[in-house]
Formats: sequence, structure tokens, C-alpha cells
Amino acid sequence: MTPRRALLIACGLLLVGAWPRLAPRYFVFLASVILVNAVVAIGLNLLSGYTNQLSFGHAGFLAVGAYTAAVLTLRAPGLPVPITLVVAGLLTAAVGLAFGVPCVRLGGLYLTMATLAFGLVVTEVILNLDALTNGADGLRVPAARLGTAALSTDAARYYLTATVAALMVAGAVNLVRTRTGRAFLAIRESEIAAEASGVPVRAYKTLAFGLSAFYTGVAGALFAFVVGFLSPDAFDLFLSVDFVVMIIVGGLGSVPGSIVGAAVVTLLYDGLAAFQNYRPLIFGTILIAGMLFMPGGVSRAVSRFLGR
Amino acid sequence: MTAAALVHVVVSGLATGSIYALMALSLVIIYNATRTLNFAQGEMLMASTFVAWAAQRALGLPVGVTLVVAIVAAGLLGWLVERLVIRRAIGATHWDVLIITLGLSLVLRAAAGLAFTHDEFPFPSLFDSRPVALGPVRVAPISVGIIAASLVLMAALYALFTWTRLGRAMRAVAQNQRAARLMGISVEGVYSRAWVLAAMVGAAAGVLVAPVVFLSSKMGLIVVNGFTAAVIGGFGSMPGAVLGGMLLGVLENLAPLYLPSGIRYSVPFLVLIAILLVRPAGLLGRIEARKV
Repeated sequence: MTPRRALLIACGLLLVGAWPRLAPRYFVFLASVILVNAVVAIGLNLLSGYTNQLSFGHAGFLAVGAYTAAVLTLRAPGLPVPITLVVAGLLTAAVGLAFGVPCVRLGGLYLTMATLAFGLVVTEVILNLDALTNGADGLRVPAARLGTAALSTDAARYYLTATVAALMVAGAVNLVRTRTGRAFLAIRESEIAAEASGVPVRAYKTLAFGLSAFYTGVAGALFAFVVGFLSPDAFDLFLSVDFVVMIIVGGLGSVPGSIVGAAVVTLLYDGLAAFQNYRPLIFGTILIAGMLFMPGGVSRAVSRFLGR
Repeated sequence: MTAAALVHVVVSGLATGSIYALMALSLVIIYNATRTLNFAQGEMLMASTFVAWAAQRALGLPVGVTLVVAIVAAGLLGWLVERLVIRRAIGATHWDVLIITLGLSLVLRAAAGLAFTHDEFPFPSLFDSRPVALGPVRVAPISVGIIAASLVLMAALYALFTWTRLGRAMRAVAQNQRAARLMGISVEGVYSRAWVLAAMVGAAAGVLVAPVVFLSSKMGLIVVNGFTAAVIGGFGSMPGAVLGGMLLGVLENLAPLYLPSGIRYSVPFLVLIAILLVRPAGLLGRIEARKV
């Protein structure tokens, strides 16, 4: 790591750490939402950006993680929050693997359709398991607990989210230096060449499904604590589409791009809230203009600007 | 459940399925020509149906003419979209174009909401919706009408793709773009015409379905069913799109009769996943072998 890069990261971490002292409460909440979305975007990017499997069902994985965390916290109130997060992540990963194993042989649009169907089925399942999930009425999520302390302020929830997001980002960035990461990169460049070079493409694609679901499940648990209320209609197709927008706007196959995409989309949604009926009109126009003038998303535009 | 009642359900399922099939066909027409999935297909259907409805109210047109207005408006819209937006996205990947069409769908839905509010409006129908008895079987003329009109349209599309110069050009471009260009086919012209044709097919579906589901800015969501239908049949295959649409429509109508209410909305999607597990490229689709 170059000194300049280390300085940049240190400044970034300082800003993220000091944010609740600098910003009003609402912006602390907004920052938490951005971080949650960034974790989902990174997870989706591992799947779509690296192994070319476009998913329109990540709202479904997010819902699995969120409801797991909520039900755990309700049924076992004393459970420390790291355990809740890990259990939510692992359970979602298991669901992702169970879905990924049969679906890995589907290509392109067929996989997209299957994930879309998965997302819709998940909402239906949540509605039907109303003994656990309280069905359409929604579920109020109690505050996360860490030892004896309850994380019940916006700042506390923000610090939880920021810590977990930092770990997840570090994990994703370092993943590319592992054997698995190099396999993902090879698949991203060319599936056929990867296969020919002895990379077991199917196994890694399935693994990408599990990994992506793990990220999204952890993000779902954070989402449950940050937002505090879950209802099945929050996890609709439009949310899945938003995640896809985040990674394409940010840049496919790029971790910083995922974060930027999540921030851009979340802030746009929030900033345009005042315009009510004009919001989708403006948002849609920005999407069209953005893709016309910045094909490849923000990350490609930045690297072109820096002349790399 | 008597056999006669079953026939009634199946017929209305086929009517819903015809609409899905038309939606799937319009997605496939654009996909085959340009390899783009048009997210805005449903909103284009909605917009052209709204234009036809407004014209009908302002001028007091007969319902048949409304259909023509919708189709012409849709053709114009498709042409404009391709010329003004899609063609400028040169150098963009399919992913970028996907997001562009997504943006387009948001813009169209919001614009329709601003122009006509987000309420639901009744739409005049070409056919009567009261069931008539044919022997022991009761069927609604509107279901039969939708099926018949869709079949006519599908036959027209079949003729277009089989026997006309344009149809041959479109099939050539779908098969191999570079070879088609070398044979003197204007690939850009085919792109443009594919958008126009798809929009027209969608508009016909819109006018047919609007009396049943009401006209509203949310109508464009039917694109999800169209996409499902196209995938079930095998994306890119036109007979597959029709088969998938019909299958989906019948399933949707039959499932509530035999299954508890909790899972009936999931049935089409569970069936879809099951079909894809057995046939990963849909019922009539083929897995393309790629040469390196």
C-alpha cells in the first residue's frame, strides 16, 4: 500500500468515524442506509459483476437476512448482535447456495428470470409464515443488544453499521487476492478462457451465489436494526431493481464502484423526495442521461478521467 | 368442479395468456434484433393505450378506431425512443441499455401519472363481458374476442416474418448481425423497425386488456408476466413466447381453484423455476453453442 493510499483510507475512516458528531440526526440515519445498500451492492456485484449472473431477486435475500435477525432478536432478546448478524448471513448464504446449485446451469436472462421469481416467492412465503413474521402487518424490530447495552440511538446503530460495512468492504477488496478472487476475475474476463485454464467455473459460480447471499443477508440484518420495522412489501421487485441500478451506475465488477453507486442512488432517492410526483421522472431522466454520457458507470468514467 | 366450469376457467386463462403472449412477443422482437431486454415495454403499452383513450374521449371515436390510434401512437413512440435514446447509446453495453430502458419506464410512468393522474379508468371494449351459454358451457365473449384477436395478430406476425423482405431481414439480423450487414441489410433500419413493430404489438395488447384490468399508470407491470412467458417458452423463440404466455395464463387461472390462497400467486413462478430446472433454455429454446 502506498503512503498516499494509506492517507486516503485513514481520512476516509476518520470522516466515517466522526460523522455522527458532525451531522444532524437525519443524516446519520441516511448514512446508515447508504452503508447497508453499499454492502448489498458489493454482494450483488460479486455475483453479477464478476461471474456475469444478473440477479433481480436480491430484495428476497435481503428479506431473508432481515427477518432472520428480527425473529432472533425477538425470540432470544439477550443474543449479542455479532452473533445475530453472522447467523443471518449464514442462513441467507445457505438459502443462496440451495438456490444457486440448481440455477448455476441457467445462463443470462434465464437466471435473471429465476432470481426474479425467487424474490417474488420470498415475499409470498413471508406473508404465509405469519406466526413468525406477523404477515402483512409487519414486524417491529427491537433494538440490537451488545452485552448489556442496547443500540437504540441513531448514532449507535450507525456505528454498528459502519463497523460491519468496513469489515465487509475489507473482505471484498482482499478477496481478489485469494485463489477464489482470482477465479472470479478470470470468470469476469472470459468464462470460456477461465474454463479452459482449469478454473471449475460452475463451482465458483455457485460459490459466488453463496457469498453474495451472505453479504446481502448481513446487510438485511443491519437493515432490520437501522429501519426498525419490516413489512413484506418493502422487499418488492423495485428494490431488487434498485440494487441492479446501483451496481451498473457505480460500475460492474468494482468494489468502490458499488459503494459510489449505492450512495448515488440512495442520495438521489432521498434528495428527490421533495418533488413527489416528479421524482420518478427526474430519476429516470438522470438514469438515461447518465448511461448515455457515462457508459460503464461512474467507475469507468473515473478511470478514464484519470487516464488509466 | 364440473367440466363446464373448468372450460370457462381455461378459456379466461387463455385470454389472459394471449395478452401475456403478445407482451412476450414484443419483448422477443426487440431482443432478437438488438439483444436488448426492453424494460419499458409495459410502459410503452400503457402510454399508447392512454393516448388512444384520450383521443377516444375527446373525439368520440368508435372503439375499432381507438385500436388503430393506439397502434399508430405506439409505432411513433417506438420510433422516437429508438431514434432519440437507444441509438445514441453506441458503445454502451447491454447492461447500460438495460438501465436506459429502466429509466425510460420510470419516465413514461411518471409522465402518464402527471398527465392523467394515477387513478384507474374504465376502457371501452370491443366485446361484451357478460357470459353467454354455449350448450352447457358458459364463456365470456370478451375472452373469446381477446383470444381471436390475438391469434389473428400472431398469424399476421408469422406471415410478416416468413414471407416479407422485412421479416427475412429481421430473422437474418437475429441469426448473425455481421453476415446480415455483409448481405446488404441495413442493421440500423432493422433495429428501428423492430422497436416500431414491438411497440405496435404491445399497443394492440394494451387495447385488448385495458377493458379487463382497467386503464392505469400501473398497467405497465404486465411486462413482468410477458418476460416470464417469454422465458418459459425459451427467450428468442416466437412460438415459445406464445406457448409460454398461454401456459402462464391458464396456470394463473387454474391455481386458485385447487390450491390454498396463500401460495396461488407463487404458482406461476414455482412452475417457472421447475421448468427451467428441467429445460434450462425454456420449453422451445435452444442452448446456443458459442464458438471461440
